[in-house]
Amino acid sequence: MQTVFTRELKPFLDAIAEQMEVYIPKKAGEHYVFKKYDPAAETPLEFNNIRACTPTKEFLFPLREIAAVFPEPLEPKDIKPFTIFGLKDCDLRSLEILDKVFTEEDFKDPSYVNRREKMFIISSDCSNPADSCFCNVLSGHPFAQAGFDLNVSQVKDGFIIEVGSEKGHDFIKEHSELFDDANEELLEERKTNRAETQNQLEQNNADMKFDAPVNEIVAKSQDSEVYDEEANTCIECQACTRVCPTCHCFYLYDTKQKDYFSKMKMWDSCMRLSYAEVAGGENPRKVLGDRLRHRFMHKFSYFLDRYGIDMCVGCGRCVDAEAGDVDIRKVLKKLAQELKGKDKSKAKVAK
Amino acid sequence: MNQNLYQPINGKIVEIIDESPTIKSFVVEPEEEFKFDTGQFVELTLPGEGEAPFTPSSSPSVTSKMDISIMKAGRVTALLHECKAGQKVGIRGPYGNGYPVDDYVGKEVYIVGGGVGLAPIRSLFLTLVDRIDDFRSVVCRFGARTPDDFIYKKTLFGSWQKIDDVDIKLTVDESKGKWDGNVGVVTTILNRDDVNIANAVAIVCGPPIMMKFATLKLLEFGFGPEKIYLSMEKNMSCGIGKCGHCMLGKYYVCKDGPVFTYDQIKGYPNIWD
Repeated sequence: MQTVFTRELKPFLDAIAEQMEVYIPKKAGEHYVFKKYDPAAETPLEFNNIRACTPTKEFLFPLREIAAVFPEPLEPKDIKPFTIFGLKDCDLRSLEILDKVFTEEDFKDPSYVNRREKMFIISSDCSNPADSCFCNVLSGHPFAQAGFDLNVSQVKDGFIIEVGSEKGHDFIKEHSELFDDANEELLEERKTNRAETQNQLEQNNADMKFDAPVNEIVAKSQDSEVYDEEANTCIECQACTRVCPTCHCFYLYDTKQKDYFSKMKMWDSCMRLSYAEVAGGENPRKVLGDRLRHRFMHKFSYFLDRYGIDMCVGCGRCVDAEAGDVDIRKVLKKLAQELKGKDKSKAKVAK
Repeated sequence: MNQNLYQPINGKIVEIIDESPTIKSFVVEPEEEFKFDTGQFVELTLPGEGEAPFTPSSSPSVTSKMDISIMKAGRVTALLHECKAGQKVGIRGPYGNGYPVDDYVGKEVYIVGGGVGLAPIRSLFLTLVDRIDDFRSVVCRFGARTPDDFIYKKTLFGSWQKIDDVDIKLTVDESKGKWDGNVGVVTTILNRDDVNIANAVAIVCGPPIMMKFATLKLLEFGFGPEKIYLSMEKNMSCGIGKCGHCMLGKYYVCKDGPVFTYDQIKGYPNIWD
């Protein structure tokens, strides 16, 4: 892939900002969030070492939006091209997952598709991963593999920019005056940085080396009591599903305006008690443990069955957000341990 | 631009029929031709109030209007029950997979229904009767709480009983008023000899508890789990397999169902709840 080098981010982002809206990472407390970039502002640009605490989905699938207006339909809103600077490998993988759901052949979600088409993706490498990051356990990396237009890697003297798409290529070509070639030495530095971060992640998650693939561990856990035990520490705040970049449940509801009616679409959570309840009062998941079980089965088993990939990218946002004490990593570890025990006792019986 | 899957077709209620103390049928006329397969469902919007999933109870051969039988069960259905003819509504769909009627050709079709579950069954029944020669027989075993709770009384107690190759038996949980038929839950009128199980398919639709016990009974009779077709009632909302509310194991009831064979779903937790 084509790579170029720049000492400064500002001219690069200013050039992008001439073509589209740009969102940049800003430290808020101990986490990053994305804010709209103002080229005239004096504040220095920040380079986020890890993913933002908010999920990327909110740019494509906002918390609340109009799904339909009637009796007269609404002309679709004109979406301006936009980019987010600083998405990570986990974020790009979350987009791949959302794309499966919202851009399916016969079931395309019009507003998602509309926004997705206007999105330019500038990812960047991670460094110094958070304690909650565990992407490596789910085949993720601290640097983007695919799915970006441009990827930025920080090195000692500046930034290496890698081209990942035709759109990215065109941008670099049009602004060649801003960039130098990225020489071998720089690329070597990037390689060393990446290996270091990868290594750090692996060390952080050394206790998550499982004997079986995660999907198999979860697929075999349908009757596990681990979910019921863990549910005892859940306070049903639903934060895990809100910050999750792949959770995409939503709620449709109707509103009355002055001269029209609208159908609204709003994020929902499968952890909510009445989520699956029907009008007659029946509810297949009225027990919290069953809701937790469903969430895990959906993420690691059902979604894989349907779309061929996992619905968890190991970003750890749910771990950071959790107000109770349910830690996705702990649940997986417990399930793995339980399965190991089961397999052992089975082996004994076989003997 | 993609077609907006959340956009309802405008329509109106042209007639309302009182079926039972808790169930009314609404004749809904969409502004455009509306085709569906028997057993598929639609999302009916009461503008500004809400939307709920219903399986039309009319024959798919009629595309200018459809009958939707609705039991007063929750907020939206209660509001619908207060509506008058002329009320504007929105219709989305049809969604999901209906009854695979062509797979029933040459077979005895054994239909077990209860309560408002007779709504999807009426659509299926009319579809089967339209081409009755294709099937060996249609055997119906229906139940209701009391005689007055039966819906489609006029045809159910009258003309349907007289159709050749159709055998209907009814039961009530509680005999009130004029009733000389069977008293007991629907499983009390199911008999191993009702159909030749080796060449039959079973259809079950009704309240969850009835579906559960009817299915268990059919399995006991020797029906294969793949020969029992269930119309599942879950919280279908978007209708297109995305919003997640109706998930039953790995399935989206709205997209992969609502008609499933028992074989497809038997391994998942809490299917009857």
